[in-house]
Amino acid sequence: MPNSNSQRTVGDTLAGFVRKITQDRVDAYAIASGDHNPIHLDEAYASTTQFGTRIAHGMLSLALVTEMLAAEFPFTWHDGGKLKVRFSAPVFPGETVETYGKITSIDDENGRLVATCTIGCKKPDGTDAVAGRATVPLE
Amino acid sequence: MAVPLISTAMVGHVFGPYDVTISADRANAYASAVGGDESPDYGESLAPIMVVAAALAELIEELGLFSGGLQTVHAGQEISWLRPIKIGEKVDARGKLTANSIRRGNHFATVSVCYKDSTGTEIATSSTTIIVSEEVSVAQQ
Repeated sequence: MPNSNSQRTVGDTLAGFVRKITQDRVDAYAIASGDHNPIHLDEAYASTTQFGTRIAHGMLSLALVTEMLAAEFPFTWHDGGKLKVRFSAPVFPGETVETYGKITSIDDENGRLVATCTIGCKKPDGTDAVAGRATVPLE
Repeated sequence: MAVPLISTAMVGHVFGPYDVTISADRANAYASAVGGDESPDYGESLAPIMVVAAALAELIEELGLFSGGLQTVHAGQEISWLRPIKIGEKVDARGKLTANSIRRGNHFATVSVCYKDSTGTEIATSSTTIIVSEEVSVAQQ
């Protein structure tokens, strides 16, 4: 990881990480978000759905992606950062996911350098649970 | 069962305002859910996606998505941050339905949300797109 944003260049990969999405994490996320939908929490209920079991909140996968961005751009991500993503597939408790990102362009926007990154979170089979792009001021 | 709001709401419908102030307990729960060795040190601030998640939970409730027995897919999300948000800082979220079309029996709805601090200053925005089916009685994501 570069020491400062001024060293960022197009093609830089962001430091992704892996995280096992346990049911304990899903339960904690329900408390944090206030989303207590039983499809995330109640196995008996979830077994009657099209998924046949509980699924993690989609926003939990996105939260992992934003953790990566906050760690990579600690001084600017929360002060002018933007993202746009699509949720492509559910994550099931017990699965291990991996976040990823790459800088695809750096542009001058009104006198401020801004990096555009592809971002996402992949499931164990390589498919995206969530994917999209983010823009982050570099200064 | 009452008709869920998603079935009747018109574009321009206003949601909230919701109090999405995040307490230390909820911030700790977030850290348990999401955190790890790679996580940044937020200090007195919170991971700002928490206010978006809190507003989304309120929207799901007000739209009647789960209580109405509707299958809902969280299809897309946009977020922008204008400044860091502190734990316990008063934040209000106000949403507006910006799209609600029906195609092949599915609602495609987008709700844009503006987050303001106690002075009324905008500190973040988000836009959530959901697909709601009236044919299956499940809610997801």
